[in-house]
Amino acid sequence: MRSIKEHISLIFPMVAILLGLEFFIAFDRTTKGYEESLKNSYSMLVVSKDEMDIDDFRAWDKHIYKVSEIEKSRIVKEVGLDLRDKDRYLSDELPNFYSIKLNKYLNTKELEQVKKNLLKSDRITRVESFDTLHNSNYGLFSSIKLAFRTFIFFMTVIGFFLIIKQMEVWHLLHSERMKIMDILGASLFLRSKALIVMALVDAIISAIIASIVFYLIQNSWVKGNHIAILEDNIDGLFSFNDVFTLIFASILIVLVAVVIVVLRVKEE
Amino acid sequence: MSDIIVAQNLTLSYERDEAVIRGASFNIKKGDFVFITGPSGSGKSTLLKSFYGNLKPSSGTLLMGGLNMNSISKPKLQELRRHLGIVFQDYRLINEWTVERNVVLPLWIAGYSKEVQRTQAKRLLHHVKLTGKENKYPLELSGGEQQRVGVARALSKNPFLILADEPTGNLDEYSSSVIWDLLENACRQLGTTVVVVTHKIPSVFNITYRHLTIDEYGAIYEVH
Repeated sequence: MRSIKEHISLIFPMVAILLGLEFFIAFDRTTKGYEESLKNSYSMLVVSKDEMDIDDFRAWDKHIYKVSEIEKSRIVKEVGLDLRDKDRYLSDELPNFYSIKLNKYLNTKELEQVKKNLLKSDRITRVESFDTLHNSNYGLFSSIKLAFRTFIFFMTVIGFFLIIKQMEVWHLLHSERMKIMDILGASLFLRSKALIVMALVDAIISAIIASIVFYLIQNSWVKGNHIAILEDNIDGLFSFNDVFTLIFASILIVLVAVVIVVLRVKEE
Repeated sequence: MSDIIVAQNLTLSYERDEAVIRGASFNIKKGDFVFITGPSGSGKSTLLKSFYGNLKPSSGTLLMGGLNMNSISKPKLQELRRHLGIVFQDYRLINEWTVERNVVLPLWIAGYSKEVQRTQAKRLLHHVKLTGKENKYPLELSGGEQQRVGVARALSKNPFLILADEPTGNLDEYSSSVIWDLLENACRQLGTTVVVVTHKIPSVFNITYRHLTIDEYGAIYEVH
């Protein structure tokens, strides 16, 4: 019974930390996909006196990723002008319109800076960044991201506190045995073996539990809850490679904890 | 006979405290049975601790089996300890391990096979009159029985030196006599050197022994 309690006391905080880590990885991956789709669906409109190519734009701002010219005829059609043949020259007098895509998802300040940089050019007469729509998307997205990261941070901190508490318990349970074995000539490894084996087994169990929880989240909860951002990036939520990341992180954390306990006993 | 323990002008003290043992010089030869007596707090246990390297000499020299305890390395100390049998007043058994596992702990540390461990455990538990209690846990035994497990553990690897700290301190007469018999036999039959720290030398003792005593100033004398 005491042995089961001892295992659970480590597995519980470890699972909390690993879930925090996996949430962080998955959230980062998922939001990257979402950021990509926001980036792809966003473009600026630039009006210039002369024809310009991508290098001309890039000379003013490095975030310019793709430039496509908007046909003047399309502009004429969209504004509802009906130009007769003799007025065709008016069409030629129209400025050049460009749709510009950026290389990443920028925040409002950065967007404003891009606009300012482009307007430094004498050839550019107007830049429309559509920042109201962009701001609302970005604001919502940023606040969700911040709230989620804060939650993960606190979850991880609590997990670490529980592990520190568990290290105290380990010290009480194992120090006497380790001291006796030291007096009888056991090497440091032999003295710590029982603790190391127990911690490694618990680390692997914790990683498996965290992986199962995420697998279930991916395959049941997300599919049933219709959360667009998650559903659109469901494959990015959990990948098989994450199991190894979790096992590695889990082993690393418990080994650091074990080494601290062992060194503390050694110093006494 | 060769010297197992040699102390010259040995002074022992704990950090920042006054010296407990002062300028002691003595030697203990192979096959000796030695009692170390002295009043409470005179440094008997401290002296024993220095023999198994738990306390380094503050000054003077202490040689254990030819190894200088002033400058012994950790691996050498571990090796030395693996060849000692140590009996503690408070038994110092591993309470979450069975009696059998406790008895064969020195063999496990030395890497002996499970088969050897089992055979030796059976033989020793028979000697300490605890046959049938292999699978009990120390806290299920009486104090006397626990100490007999402690003695069996000390004897399990046929050490060249047994160090016993008040081995019969709080024990009943039966357990005490079993323990003295075992220590006597180890010395007589196997030629093991035995050093026992005690308040009182048993009235009936069947082999020749030496008696060192520590006075209240930390000096050590041989009583003839």
